[in-house]
Amino acid sequence: MVQINLPENSKVQKGQYFKDKTGSKNIRKVNVYRWDPSSGKNPRIDTYEVDMENCPSKVLDVLNKIKNEIDPTLSYRKSCAHGVCGSCAMNMDGKNGLACTTSHADISGDINIYPLPHLKVKKDLIGDLDGLYKQYESIEPWLKNNSKNNKDEIYQSQKDREKLDGAYECIMCACCSTSCPSYWWNGDKYLGPAVLLQAYRWIIDSRDEDRKERLQKVADELKLYRCHTILNCTNACPKGLNPAKAIAEIKKMLATT
Amino acid sequence: MENKSPLSPHIQVYKWHVSSLVSIATRITGIINILIITLICFWFAFLLLGESSYELIKLFLNSIFGKFIAIGITWSFSFHILSEIRHLIMDLGYGFEIKTSNLTGIIVIIFSFILTILIYLLGRQLI
Repeated sequence: MVQINLPENSKVQKGQYFKDKTGSKNIRKVNVYRWDPSSGKNPRIDTYEVDMENCPSKVLDVLNKIKNEIDPTLSYRKSCAHGVCGSCAMNMDGKNGLACTTSHADISGDINIYPLPHLKVKKDLIGDLDGLYKQYESIEPWLKNNSKNNKDEIYQSQKDREKLDGAYECIMCACCSTSCPSYWWNGDKYLGPAVLLQAYRWIIDSRDEDRKERLQKVADELKLYRCHTILNCTNACPKGLNPAKAIAEIKKMLATT
Repeated sequence: MENKSPLSPHIQVYKWHVSSLVSIATRITGIINILIITLICFWFAFLLLGESSYELIKLFLNSIFGKFIAIGITWSFSFHILSEIRHLIMDLGYGFEIKTSNLTGIIVIIFSFILTILIYLLGRQLI
């Protein structure tokens, strides 16, 4: 259901202010969403003054700097730092993206960092993605081929392989799904752009023999048709993919078959 | 732990862009249009009551407030129609690239005003 306001325990309060200690002239204010599960208090926004003279170019570098030099209690997910793993997905400057591929120079004014929107927060910038992974499992993201002589290699023409371009590159960082208002209001039933893009990836795979069942499974008022082409997903995708178009293609396939 | 976890901010922090603005405006104008169609039905029903009630509505529509409402309705209809045409094109699978969707969104916004002016001029028999 549409609920514009945050629940009482999620209202964000003003937090601590960490003044710069390096005496640097190039200072930037970084506002970070913080929540400590052991405190029993509401989430807060802590403000850090960060010395930009000695800081590499990405938002993840800013966070690393804060954690290493200012406040070691800050929690966030990260791994590869090259936009491949999808761990450091978060909301920066009001837009979802990967902290490791977003330049802080592209953000004007203070840098505001929040966890991915409309998720249960585990700690600080870490959101709970269990629901999304369960939905991902529900579309059965593996090859289904029931041929009897499945010892042979399954061939795929170059043309059929090309159909997977723009779908297989997805790293499941959840930037798109958590940017989608439809997913905010109906995340328990609507599959969301990330999972639907993957559903599309298996539907159009020429080697997969379960196409019809896959289509039928996804053809549901709530699972699929909650997409109202708001296009927040396409705008958010850090890999430049187009989940909205994939969803439209699924709708088209359902309308024409 | 499960119940204590706060919900991360969503619409409070997320930035708007052309497509999301057009999308929400389509919904709002859609609701307005349903209300307006109901009102227009009432207007026609009033005609059955005779000349005096017709004169009353004419008086209202000729007042500044009435004109504002009438032009507002025209814009609401214009916007909704254009935006739905954009959606129809999207349903065919076109216009999903970020640049194209921004462009069509801006076209919808600008042309909704142009269409409003055109309908106004046509209605006033100025063109």
